[in-house]
Amino acid sequence: MCGWKNNAPAAKLGRRARRLILIGLVAAGVVAGCRKTEAPAAGRVLRISQRNEPSDLDPARASLPDELFVIRALSEGLVAPSPDNGAPQPAAAESWDISPDGLAYTFHLRKDARWSNGEAVTAADFVASFERVLTPATAAPKAPLLFMVRNARDFAAGKTGFASVGFHAADPGTLTITLEHPMPRFLAYVASGPWIPVNPRIVEKFGRNWTRPENFVGNGAFTLTEWHPHQRIVVRRNPGYHAANRVLLDEIRFLAFDNGDAEERAFRAGQLDVTMAIPFTKLDTYQQEHPGEAHRGPLAETRYLSFNTGHAPLNDPRVRRALSLALNRAVLAEKVLHGGQQPTMRFVPPALRAADDADDPVSSADSNAPNAARALLAAAGFPGGRKFPRLELSTWPINAPISEAIQAMWKKTLGIDVSLVSREAKVHIAALRDGTYDVAFMTAIPDVADAANLLSDFTTDSPGNYPHWSDAAYDGLIRDAGNAADASQQARVLRQAEVRLTEESPLAPLYFNTTNWLMRPGVRGWHQDALWTRFYQDVSIDEKK
Amino acid sequence: MLRFIARRFLETIPVVLIIITATFFMLRFVPGGPFTAEKAVTPEILRNLEAHYGLNKPLFQQYTDYLVSLLHGDLGPSFKYSNRTVNEIIADKLPVSLELGSLSLVVALVIGIPLGVIAAIRRNSWIDYLCSSFAMIGICVPTFVLGPLLVLFFAIHLGWMNASGWYSPVDRVLPCLTLGCVYAAYLARLTRGGMLEVLSLDYIRTARAKGASETRVIFRHALRGGLLPVVTFLGPAIAGILTGSFVIETIFQIPGLGREFITSVFNRDYTLVLGTVMLYAGLIIVLNLAVDIAQVWLNPKLKFE
Repeated sequence: MCGWKNNAPAAKLGRRARRLILIGLVAAGVVAGCRKTEAPAAGRVLRISQRNEPSDLDPARASLPDELFVIRALSEGLVAPSPDNGAPQPAAAESWDISPDGLAYTFHLRKDARWSNGEAVTAADFVASFERVLTPATAAPKAPLLFMVRNARDFAAGKTGFASVGFHAADPGTLTITLEHPMPRFLAYVASGPWIPVNPRIVEKFGRNWTRPENFVGNGAFTLTEWHPHQRIVVRRNPGYHAANRVLLDEIRFLAFDNGDAEERAFRAGQLDVTMAIPFTKLDTYQQEHPGEAHRGPLAETRYLSFNTGHAPLNDPRVRRALSLALNRAVLAEKVLHGGQQPTMRFVPPALRAADDADDPVSSADSNAPNAARALLAAAGFPGGRKFPRLELSTWPINAPISEAIQAMWKKTLGIDVSLVSREAKVHIAALRDGTYDVAFMTAIPDVADAANLLSDFTTDSPGNYPHWSDAAYDGLIRDAGNAADASQQARVLRQAEVRLTEESPLAPLYFNTTNWLMRPGVRGWHQDALWTRFYQDVSIDEKK
Repeated sequence: MLRFIARRFLETIPVVLIIITATFFMLRFVPGGPFTAEKAVTPEILRNLEAHYGLNKPLFQQYTDYLVSLLHGDLGPSFKYSNRTVNEIIADKLPVSLELGSLSLVVALVIGIPLGVIAAIRRNSWIDYLCSSFAMIGICVPTFVLGPLLVLFFAIHLGWMNASGWYSPVDRVLPCLTLGCVYAAYLARLTRGGMLEVLSLDYIRTARAKGASETRVIFRHALRGGLLPVVTFLGPAIAGILTGSFVIETIFQIPGLGREFITSVFNRDYTLVLGTVMLYAGLIIVLNLAVDIAQVWLNPKLKFE
């Protein structure tokens, strides 16, 4: 065969191939020479990473903070959380009166409040929006955040007409809301997502398509100009907004990044001003080498271990308490997590506590009490961990390091073995809901700045009662808190409930989560509170940086 | 040939039906539903949501309802994205995946086949070793390593292009190069193997004996036979390259269908999962048929039965 081999034509082909490769390289060079388009655009444009694609931009349908990142730029409710301390401050309403019995709230709307199509924002628009949220056919996931209004719950269940619900528009500028019973934290609920109004005429006209950019009408500081799912959402300054002169940005682009590593690379390439997170593996590097770009803030998110109180031996409070006390939370936070998480023995995060509630029974000594833990386990019939059944500790995928650390701590301190199970997130939650687990890693995020919203999850039969725990004393305390007339009394009762939760330990709080993000030094006035609420009004960009 | 195609087409109908049925019921038996979230919804809200999407009906009725709407070309509303239908999502995302896939395929073919041919002609020379090493490296280095490396160099170090996104033509370069290189590596190996086998056959010797120029022997006689294994590989490869670019879409944050498909499973977006599974199944069936036709065309030993 080799005799047939003739080098000359092959060399010709080689030349041809070389020519081809050369052409390819030149073409690639030409393409590479083109300007990139996502470079900093003209005007004051802020480019923010958006982690989860919003399921919708309809306030009635929103259930995640990610959706409200965009919705709060486009629309505003009667009141909004203040950037300084989260306390409700005027937004669409310029003032409000509260009746002496604490039942009736009368909101006075701003006279200059306009929808982005020029129509006036009226009290009737708010009433129509609230009716829409409560109507069963709307299927609003967060409708219960309106259930404190008189007869709202019955209307949502189809038991009564809307006329009997406690919303009343006396005139276009006055809205009265009557509650079932006094509620000291009511305004925090009014500041929450489902209370943000929609323009009822637009919703009527376009149906489910009303949130498309070509149809969207809001009453916020920005208007929707682009929405390319999984790519980007662009909002532009709304010149008709009542405080338009305060808004410092021309445009915000929410660029979709569902992957932390891709997001970090885009930040380094100059495509992003604010990221959603810092990849775990790069936390330390950014803290040390780029402290001006790495930022950190507390979150009102409690990460905890849920004990299935229906499974022996976890039905014994002493066992649960022993498991909780055997964990060195400071080590978990500092050595495993690295993100500045705050170790805790308490369930209610600082942002949701009363101002005078400073005590944290979780000082470091208490958070790691190996001797007490061993004594409790022995008292429960398992001295030195002997005969303790092998339990499963389940998590969702990204928590392997912390569950391994917990496994080791229990082995070392109590002499017990647990096996680790990692399940896909929804499978994990379904197991918690159905009670088909032993011990599970879980997170609690409140909808509003109210400890009752968080603690009421653990009453008997509450759907969020993942420990499947039932305690008459606790249920009674939560009920009392709901009926408390003033804020300080309510805070006191809720504090008792939290203490009861710690004593009985259906769960073991581990730490309060934090958010770590990257931000270009030129971004000024960025505010994001512990409940993920952002405030775009004061944000500006120093283009020199 | 038309009869062959018609018969194959009829055969696909039960296949697609089985795929739909299996996917539909398997999805429903996966723990957790579209409305499962850390913050549990109250039972009354869950009832509203289920009624809204028809999930309160008996499972079998939901299945028949779905089949009926399919016959009307309606893939149903998305369970996750409440203002979009599955038809709209696929119409929005499929072109992106097709563009990414076809450009990558061009890269793969333009790099892979010439490399394989050159390696086969210059068998056991340094050129062959160079081409084969490229192919081996291309196969061994996964896209999630190659992609970020290219980004580090071209986007972050040199600043020539974006690290991610799908806005301008420049944004196409890195993802298509990354995805194309892997397939180019496979193509190069297959082409080399196929060419080596064909070049040793008698009809090539005959061609040369009759005085055909080497270029004519390679391109006219050998390449057609040498590409047979490539064509067999290309069928499933094209299906994979057009649909399974989830990793590339994630690395470069491309709004394509691959990412939509994977996240729809995590979201338990039942209708979107079904819609994409069906689309992929259809694509694989059509491409396999195309491969069968191309093989008969390339290989005189085969005939449409």
